[in-house]
Amino acid sequence: MRKKTGIVFFPAFDWSISDMHPEREERLLYTRDQIFEEGVLDLPEIAQYPPLVATPHDIARVHFCVPQVDDQVLAAHRIAAGAAMNLSDKIMDGQIKNGFAIVRPPGHHAMRVVHGNRGFCSINNEAVVVEHLRRTYGIKKIAIVDTDVHHGDGTQDIFYHDPDVLFISFHQDGRTIFPGTGFADELGGPTAYAKNINIPLPPGVADKSLLYVVDNLILPILEDFQPEFVINSAGQDNHYTDPLGSMLITAQGYAQLTEKLKPDLAVLEGGYAIESALPYVNLAILLAMAGRDYSHVIEPDYQPEKLVESPQVTDYVHRMVANIQRVWEKSKAITIEQLCGSNKFYQRQKSIYYDTEYFEEKQLEKVRTCTKCPGYVVIDSHAAQPKIGRCRVLAVSIHNRCCKQCIEEGLEAYNEAKKDYRYSYVYLQDKTQDNFLTFNREDKSELRTEG
Amino acid sequence: MYIGIDVGGTSTDAVLLSSGRVQKTAKVYNTPNLMTSLLQALDSVLTGVSATEVKRVVLSTTMITNLIAEQKYHPVALLLMPGPGCKLYKFRDADVHILKGAIDYRGREIRPLDEQEVLQAIKEVESKGYSKVAVVGKFSTRNNIHEIKVAEIIKSQKPHWQVDMGHVAGGQLNFPRRIATTMLNCATKEKYSYFVQSVKEALNKRNIVNAQVFILKADGGTMTLDSSEQSPVETIFSGPAASTLGVQALTPAGETSLVVDIGGTTTDLALILSGQPLLSSKGVTLGDDLLTQVRALAVKSVPIGGDSVVDQVGQELIIYSERMGPPYCLGGSFPTPSDALNVMGLTKLGDIERSWQVMEALGESINMSALEVARKVINLVVDTIAIEIENMFLEWEQEPAYRIWEVMQKRRVRPKNVVGVGGAAAGFVPQIAIRVGGMPVLPLYTSSANAIGAAVAKPTLQITLRADTEQNKFSVEEDGYQGSINEQPFGSEQALNLAKSLLVKRSEKMNISDEVKDIEVTRRDVFNIVRNMVTTGRIYDVCVQTPRGIQWHVGAGGKLL
Ligand SMILES: [Zn+2]
Ligand SMILES: [Zn+2]
Ligand SMILES: [Zn+2]
Repeated sequence: MRKKTGIVFFPAFDWSISDMHPEREERLLYTRDQIFEEGVLDLPEIAQYPPLVATPHDIARVHFCVPQVDDQVLAAHRIAAGAAMNLSDKIMDGQIKNGFAIVRPPGHHAMRVVHGNRGFCSINNEAVVVEHLRRTYGIKKIAIVDTDVHHGDGTQDIFYHDPDVLFISFHQDGRTIFPGTGFADELGGPTAYAKNINIPLPPGVADKSLLYVVDNLILPILEDFQPEFVINSAGQDNHYTDPLGSMLITAQGYAQLTEKLKPDLAVLEGGYAIESALPYVNLAILLAMAGRDYSHVIEPDYQPEKLVESPQVTDYVHRMVANIQRVWEKSKAITIEQLCGSNKFYQRQKSIYYDTEYFEEKQLEKVRTCTKCPGYVVIDSHAAQPKIGRCRVLAVSIHNRCCKQCIEEGLEAYNEAKKDYRYSYVYLQDKTQDNFLTFNREDKSELRTEG
Repeated sequence: MYIGIDVGGTSTDAVLLSSGRVQKTAKVYNTPNLMTSLLQALDSVLTGVSATEVKRVVLSTTMITNLIAEQKYHPVALLLMPGPGCKLYKFRDADVHILKGAIDYRGREIRPLDEQEVLQAIKEVESKGYSKVAVVGKFSTRNNIHEIKVAEIIKSQKPHWQVDMGHVAGGQLNFPRRIATTMLNCATKEKYSYFVQSVKEALNKRNIVNAQVFILKADGGTMTLDSSEQSPVETIFSGPAASTLGVQALTPAGETSLVVDIGGTTTDLALILSGQPLLSSKGVTLGDDLLTQVRALAVKSVPIGGDSVVDQVGQELIIYSERMGPPYCLGGSFPTPSDALNVMGLTKLGDIERSWQVMEALGESINMSALEVARKVINLVVDTIAIEIENMFLEWEQEPAYRIWEVMQKRRVRPKNVVGVGGAAAGFVPQIAIRVGGMPVLPLYTSSANAIGAAVAKPTLQITLRADTEQNKFSVEEDGYQGSINEQPFGSEQALNLAKSLLVKRSEKMNISDEVKDIEVTRRDVFNIVRNMVTTGRIYDVCVQTPRGIQWHVGAGGKLL
């Protein structure tokens, strides 16, 4: 028998960020109504699964939550991440061919260090799946394609120095929309150069140009990278009715995009046209993944004459695709030495704005530019989050493929920071051992997540 | 005095209960004439009793289940309004006509009906010789205007046609299942009314004139005989519900029990969680692919039973799922688990000597004694059933959840009691209980459990209200009725009261208002509607029902082994 498409539907009908917030109980209500009324969960091509609950250990594999996982993570976040993990397990053990996690809250703006909620996200659901897949199944190469109208800045941040994770995000140009990042020259650190591909699009892109980007850029890059697993951060705010985005994509466009991308796992991200878009786009994506006819999934207010892309936009998109194609081709010959000479570390400074609670985080991020392995990352971060006030932390992340020397250096960096009075909390993420520690200066305790 | 009657495929069981005790039981083998069987069964339980004192009669019947299984129902034409969404070219092999009107998830008309198109469809239906039509629209449970309009047009053109509407037949969100349910109601109504007539006549002939008469539904609830004529499909699969309720009545209240009903060729497993039978989250499926909206108890059928055939393949013993006649001890030609039970001394069925012979023969070429073979056979049966029990619990744990509290409170449940029903239960249930870590229970009267279950069943009604204060409208999922909200302010309390009053009204209409003393609230969700940063209204989803349960518990609970 042909394998099915798995779905976890978790609308969190009893949770909202606040009454008026776009992330509220109502968000997936009409999607629920549409999917149930269509009877798609009865289709022989579809299997429904319950969400699971991700553990603090699953989350610590990705995030440095300040001060602790439980301080930043609610049950809702653990369930959304757990839902995506559950589907990834079903895919890996061969029960289903692909899966769609229609869940909330979303996650693609959540970065490696978590001081609070950003862009409605606290936990990066896709990143939790990536680390789970690597740890549990030894998968090496994973691609994440972010089709949300906003730049997936959290995902970019988490995998910026990870050569094993290809992150491709198309989105509305950061000069016109939150979070203001995602330009084509953000290509990844020296150990992961060109494993971060941003495709900033001008407002007003319609189905045809979007599919042009997929055919001529995304698919060829995926073909080169040869991922063992493809995750789609499936934001639906490119829809022509979305209140936040300014794109002209239809449910049909989303379905065709999905059909071309063939993700193993799609995870719902943004999309706040909860009546005019979500019921239809979610249904169309689900049918496309299951290989069913989606041609009748058409928005009631669909009027093709209103969704015409301007020739300038088309032209712009074609030129942008050509540019990024050239960058990608050239990147294949570029070495770490060329990128940072004989410097032992590559470093960058970042300031990250938490738009839900209005505070800023300052970061200094360093990666060891090792020629034998992806290197380890050291992050020095401080912020004045409302929960605990001003606080500075140091976090060390050791990639699961780090060489012996990098592991030793990373552990030393952690132990040195424990002696440094400036850091209230010091974190270690040793992915080679699946060992995650938090050192608390105040009481000199060292906590280890269990898992 | 209450009477429960289970009209099965081969026999009709009846039971007379009074003051919470079983007064009399009867079993008669069915004749082609339903009336004869009913009268015989009534006569057996009514001897020495005044019929006018019977206050209540509940029947369960496999009639519609069988009609559908044998496809002996009338052909139906379908007039469908699928609107945008999944494509619908055809529905099984039915005569399908697609119409233009469309309603959305909030009950708003998104595309109007085209009356000319309806007239055209009627012509086509007529030319193909149909006179039964099912009219079903997507989201008709949120707003039934299109279905009603189409039905009106049909009635005005063809007054003698039988027309059934989706919002009447299937009150849940699931368009394909609503189509199937409506179609089956439409197709079986005429034949079902003969059944209703026969029951009425039989009761009249025996002077049962003061009783309310109910029909058992698959969800373990009842509906009045009269209202059942509108939805005969609701009577399907009431057999397993009857025996599960029977067990519920025969075991202590409030406990978690697993019901193992071991028949000749199948074993039915059902679950009573803290005293309430577990409902299946999905409607009944008929055959391979006829998915309905009929709610049923979660019953799992395992193809193994006392009459299954045991065979020897190489060095192994295996059990086939099909029945090849009676057990060897009852004159059959093949060894069966029933023979194994005889050899083990766990039952005394038929000719025990024959059981020994056939077990011995089975062991000959694999160097096993009759006793060893019998033990092995019983282990095989117990293994198969125990695995399915574990699967059943796993499936139940895998049920989806849509709220955080539901996910976080999920827990592992295992049964306290393993209750055996059916002919071979006594021989197997103690071992099954050991395997799943429960207490074996073999209640008295298990051979009449189904009739007892029917007798103690209570009417059930449910209202799923959606009140939408932005549109100032409410709709009732069970019948697609749309009304306007008149009360101001309208909040959570008002929504609940509205749902309750609708339930009471509905119960009055169905003549069962006595049952609506306590109302259970099974769901209460509130959704803020926010548009352009302003709260423009709220949606209240409220589900209320009459209390689930049974009239009373019977007897002292059963024999603990
Ligand atoms: Zn994106
Ligand atoms: Zn977005
Ligand atoms: Zn290294």
